[in-house]
Amino acid sequence: MIAIMKRDLRSFFTSPIGYVVLAAFLLFCNFFFYSTNIQGGASSLSYVFNNMLLILVFLIPLVTMRLMSEEMKQRTDQMLLTAPVRVVDIVVGKYLSAMMVFVIALACTFTWPLIVTMFGDPAVYEIIGNYVAMTLLISCLVSVGIFISSLTESQIIAAILSFIVMIALFMFSSIASAVDNVVVSAVLNWLSVFSRYSGFTAGVFSLADVVYYISVTVVFLFLTTRVIEKKRWA
Amino acid sequence: MIEVSGLTKYYGNKKAVEDLNFTINSGEVVGFLGPNGAGKSTTMNILTGYLSATSGTAKIDGMDILDDPIEAKRHIGYMPEIPPLYLDMTVDEYLNFAAELKGVRTAVKRKHIADICEQVSITHVKNRVIKNLSKGYKQRVGLAMALIGDPDTLILDEPTVGLDPIQIIEIRNVIKELGRRRTVVLSSHILSEVQAICERVLVINNGTIVANDTPENLSTNISGEHKLNVCVAGPVQSALSVLRSVDGMVNVALRTDNEDGTANFVVESDPSVDIRKPMFFALAKAGYPILSLQPLDMSLEDIFLRLTVEETGTARGSRKKVAK
Repeated sequence: MIAIMKRDLRSFFTSPIGYVVLAAFLLFCNFFFYSTNIQGGASSLSYVFNNMLLILVFLIPLVTMRLMSEEMKQRTDQMLLTAPVRVVDIVVGKYLSAMMVFVIALACTFTWPLIVTMFGDPAVYEIIGNYVAMTLLISCLVSVGIFISSLTESQIIAAILSFIVMIALFMFSSIASAVDNVVVSAVLNWLSVFSRYSGFTAGVFSLADVVYYISVTVVFLFLTTRVIEKKRWA
Repeated sequence: MIEVSGLTKYYGNKKAVEDLNFTINSGEVVGFLGPNGAGKSTTMNILTGYLSATSGTAKIDGMDILDDPIEAKRHIGYMPEIPPLYLDMTVDEYLNFAAELKGVRTAVKRKHIADICEQVSITHVKNRVIKNLSKGYKQRVGLAMALIGDPDTLILDEPTVGLDPIQIIEIRNVIKELGRRRTVVLSSHILSEVQAICERVLVINNGTIVANDTPENLSTNISGEHKLNVCVAGPVQSALSVLRSVDGMVNVALRTDNEDGTANFVVESDPSVDIRKPMFFALAKAGYPILSLQPLDMSLEDIFLRLTVEETGTARGSRKKVAK
């Protein structure tokens, strides 16, 4: 598991993709931070974190698209699957490598609470809550991305499918409010991983939502192992 | 030791291999021989746990590849037909990754990798990115990967495909060397290769085993007769009559009558008699020196064609044509 995580993390940073994703993330997020908190003089980071969601919808597929599909295309999955490791170790290793990229990205934003504390009096728990919840949300989306990547040998198709799914997830709550049917809108609302985030930006740390995020991650990682297992029976 | 019984694999409705049964003992070097699409790669992929069989079992050193995959895989080094290389890594990084993946202890990792690099002669390209290596070197890196973790069974799928003749000879020597203390299974559709490396051959065609024997036995048993090619210096007719008079001779046929006063004959003897000595003395007595003498066993090519043609159930006539 660790070996796979290290290899994938290294490959993010031997190719330009890791740097491009980090640069794009920091450029846009810091722009939001600058305009809201520095120019606007707000002490709450929630607005920035809310905008971060949209950026992640575009960046997460770029990181996850290659994780499984490239292995299949280059036939390197043969090496992984005939090595004495379990499929779940492979999937979790890959998941951790993608998570590491975003943890590094989030770590680069620790300058924000520092700056805000220097000039104001921020709500500490709200900030911590935002970081924790953001990590959990990313974990959710990364697992969905890995799952999609395991479905196809083409990185491009994996990326496009992931964009579609993530944008759809992003829009679920607005679609839900447009739908008349109570059941449908309840289901869409429940599925909307993003709308759950708004509670955290409001400073409410909901344990139910934490459990929800972790469960979704586990389910999609499990589904990924099933997809890989299924291939050998085909 | 590899034990396979009743192994069957279907891809959907398409049969890939059917009811394979064989045992490969520890320390044996065995070749899978068969035309493209015969089921060699499928069999190897099942043995290594990459694919699952539709039915039947495969055991590596007594461990079932499905029931106890982790332990079984520890005993196998597998080089697939296309070596599974991460092109953006250097050879050293790649082998390090393989060692970590296979759980080689950190304390011995460096030395282990260095030894293997030495063994397959890739030490001097250790720091190069795999993408930039030639096909032959990529093949060797793949072989090195299979050797990591010191598995006692090596499974090599077409290890020499796409290499130039010198590289083929080098890789063959490496495999022979490795086979001294390991079980090696390799597949090939090149017959001379299997003949050169393997102690035993499994001929696979259409997903079933059609022969399982040593290369020598295959060529003598199937041809079922002893033939020699003799080049004699002397007049054709009298040489012919001398040859016919030798004890145990079954048939003599003139092959070519050369202009320089020599002639080539194909002589066929009773399998129980070694015709060479009496033939030599008879010709020497008559004053016709033998210039060359070669056994004319059926080559594996002939056997192979014969077996695979038989398998597909073509009429006897075409088989004869092939045997000729």
